Amino acid sequence: MANVKFNDITFRYGSNTVLEHFSLDVENGKIVCLVGPSGCGKTTLVRALLGLIKPETGSISVGDRVLFDAARRINVPAEKRNIGIVFQDYAVWPHLTVLENVCYPLKKQRVPKDVIKPRAMRALEQVHMTEYANHLPNQLSGGQQQRVAIARALVVDSDVLVMDEPITNLDAKLREEMLLEIRMIQKRLNATILYITHDQQSALQLCDKMAIMQQDGTLCQYGSDEEIILKPANRFTFEFIGVSNFIPLVKDGDGLKLDCGEKIPYPGEVPPEAAGGGYELGVRPNDIVFDSDSPLKARVDSRVFLGSEYNYFLSIGQKQIRVQQSMLDARTKGVAKEGETVGVCLLNARFYPAQKGAETT
Amino acid sequence: MSGYGGVSADLAAVEGRKHMNMDKVMTVICFILLLIIVVIPIFMIIYNAFFYEGKLEIKLFTEQLTEPNNLAAMWNTLKIAVFTTIFGTIMGVFYAWLLGRSDIPAKGLMRALFNIPYMFPPFLGAMAWDMMFNGRSGYINKLLRELFHLKAMPININSVWGIVFVEVSYYFPFVFMQVVSALERMDPTLEESARIAGARQRQVIWKITLPLVKPAISAGALLILTTSLAHFGVPAILGYAKRIYTLPTRIYEVIYNSGGSFDGIRQGAAISVMLVVVVSLALILQNRILASGSYDIIKGKSMRPTLIKLRGAKIPLLLLAILTLVMIVIVPLVMIVLISFLKAYGLPLKLENFTFAQYQKVFAANGTMASIRNSLFLSISAGIICMFLGTLIAYVVQKIKPRGSGVLEVLSMLPYAIPGTVLSIGVILAWSGRIAGINLYNTIWIILVAYLARYLSFSMKTSSAALLQVHSSLEEAARVCGASHTESLADVTLPLIRPAMVSGFFLIFLPAMREVTTSILLYGPYTRTLGVQIYSLRDAGMIPQAAALATVAIGIIIILNTIVTKITKDKKGV
Repeated sequence: MANVKFNDITFRYGSNTVLEHFSLDVENGKIVCLVGPSGCGKTTLVRALLGLIKPETGSISVGDRVLFDAARRINVPAEKRNIGIVFQDYAVWPHLTVLENVCYPLKKQRVPKDVIKPRAMRALEQVHMTEYANHLPNQLSGGQQQRVAIARALVVDSDVLVMDEPITNLDAKLREEMLLEIRMIQKRLNATILYITHDQQSALQLCDKMAIMQQDGTLCQYGSDEEIILKPANRFTFEFIGVSNFIPLVKDGDGLKLDCGEKIPYPGEVPPEAAGGGYELGVRPNDIVFDSDSPLKARVDSRVFLGSEYNYFLSIGQKQIRVQQSMLDARTKGVAKEGETVGVCLLNARFYPAQKGAETT
Repeated sequence: MSGYGGVSADLAAVEGRKHMNMDKVMTVICFILLLIIVVIPIFMIIYNAFFYEGKLEIKLFTEQLTEPNNLAAMWNTLKIAVFTTIFGTIMGVFYAWLLGRSDIPAKGLMRALFNIPYMFPPFLGAMAWDMMFNGRSGYINKLLRELFHLKAMPININSVWGIVFVEVSYYFPFVFMQVVSALERMDPTLEESARIAGARQRQVIWKITLPLVKPAISAGALLILTTSLAHFGVPAILGYAKRIYTLPTRIYEVIYNSGGSFDGIRQGAAISVMLVVVVSLALILQNRILASGSYDIIKGKSMRPTLIKLRGAKIPLLLLAILTLVMIVIVPLVMIVLISFLKAYGLPLKLENFTFAQYQKVFAANGTMASIRNSLFLSISAGIICMFLGTLIAYVVQKIKPRGSGVLEVLSMLPYAIPGTVLSIGVILAWSGRIAGINLYNTIWIILVAYLARYLSFSMKTSSAALLQVHSSLEEAARVCGASHTESLADVTLPLIRPAMVSGFFLIFLPAMREVTTSILLYGPYTRTLGVQIYSLRDAGMIPQAAALATVAIGIIIILNTIVTKITKDKKGV
């Protein structure tokens, strides 16, 4: 297994720039989740890594092996890159049995005949599919086909394993199972896995490191999941990962006020670099706590019990915000009732320059 | 170009280029083959119709355009095509509704029987009807005249209406098959909601069902129109006796009368241009109508449509359907078989006049076995070549998508719009020594080239549809697993579209086996096809022999069809 290095990758479809000067270093033996909204260029990046498309600039290397380098005119063909891939649509060959599917990469790598079958069976064992070895893919469920695709990617000792949204088509329970499975396989093989998804929840569950991609195809943050959640690099990361509330802040006289239809004085401190001009205050629903001493008052619009927490919609002035109250908090402080007016504290608030066209009423 | 990449890097770069090249090579092959097979013959027709010895010469064309015989032929062609389309559509829709939506019994069997006219060569049907209702010597005509003591023959099949009748009975399945499948896949709730909203059964049929399957109806109807416009067999068999010509038979007549001289062929080319214009207008109409009327009425999930109870009308309608089948399938078949056993044509159909002599004569003649061999050779090789070439073009168009792939697609579909008669003229003009000294005239190869052009679109269409189903990630997965581009094609793409390729082959093989329109203009002394052999036996007045060979031909077609259905049923579902 080895690390993967993307350096200064630029790719265009015609005049549409998908990736521009994109660089990313996937560490050896880690699961790195590449997270971004649909259409941000995640799959394009994977296809460039696999050698299915040719970027305009930059280089890609796995370990100390250069797979692509525009300047040095290196472009290793897809079949020689030694990368395992699980495609989003499984891409399990429908005319081959499960076993034949898994044997195929070994055959193409000229593995001696007598070891092909045992190795394929071992790979199937890892995904608990041995009993289906002689089935045709159309006799399998989506989840089972997915596992065949994973076995096929695992069967050869690839330098790196790429998974392109491999579990989006599964139901919630199976998804959970597959995530655990992938984690265990990674531990066992000490594999480098590049996991592509637009679903932040599975990314958080799975990854060692997360790379957040923005709509315009640039990397906006790369770090551990705690870093991403607790220290988002910019507004996009903050908004994309996790649930968030945004309240416009305006200058009014000397102080700052929350612009919620009516102007409400903002009791907290604003860091100096954010001061001046209009900006917005971002706060996570679980960072809003009830505190009857707080000067900031809100009305409870609705309350839903979600099993492990309470979910509220509160109104500060005209502005509706979402609040999550943990069970522990609910036990100690009690729950708020609908229609009640409560005091709230906005903890861990962040400040971002106001977006053009953002609602100001 | 750079020298500092290191040895391994250079190797990699070379391999990268090689892969790009294979796509390019495939694209270039497609263009070259289509140029040879399609572009050159079509160009030669237009060139020869308007140019003479390198100079523009409109005279020939205007002469042909104003020639009364040609105008009459044009008028007949239009009249026959329009009426065939109208009656064929009505009949097709009626039976499609009866079998698709009513509770008429024995549906499966009837559906299979209604598809028979589709595989039955229409010109053999025309022969049978001519035997029965020929205006002078038809057997049933004579019978009727005696029974009712009439002075003249009661029915004359050798007329425009006779031609329309025979064409309708062989072409209505075009509409029938389209509409029956649309009806079966239609979402039944569309009709049910109309009933719930208060419409009566009859109103539902007129206001909901029929308008919803209108796209299927017009698609089938226009298929009848274009096929009938270009059709040669039936008007040739039925029309010649009374000098009723259509444009295709007129072209044949002109060339035949001129003894295959260059002038005759040029005249034929000029008339061909007229025919191509008429067919093109029909095709433009088809595109317009098909583009405007497409509703999304078809649900992917198969739901059982509600069947309409016929109640009292059940038995009469069943009898009508059976009668139709007997009339258009069984009666002509029986007639041909009976005639094939006659000592001489015209003798009464009595046991003492029956003999096996005609079969002995047919099989003793050199021409018979040669014609069967020729037809088998032509249809198998056209089938195989088109299967691969069509798949190649489909692959280039669907997967490689080079610049000009649209042109490629249009070129491969173009011959489909060109009547077989016209195509033969193009092939004659192109390959009888005028281009690069290649002279294929009077050889079997000229027929093969014509078949390739004629049938290429069939295999291209089926392979194209199959390739659309093969997601590109399947091939990419193979590449990533270590297969080269060629290997991924061989291991993944080809096996996946193999069933489609095989059915493409049979889609060509079966009609090519009974082909007569194209080969009748291209055959030489030793290259008669089965169809041509039957046609010329009949033309020479040896009707019982023609009937005997026709019986053999029908036998071959039935056997082949059974084999095909067996083979295509065994395919692994993909």
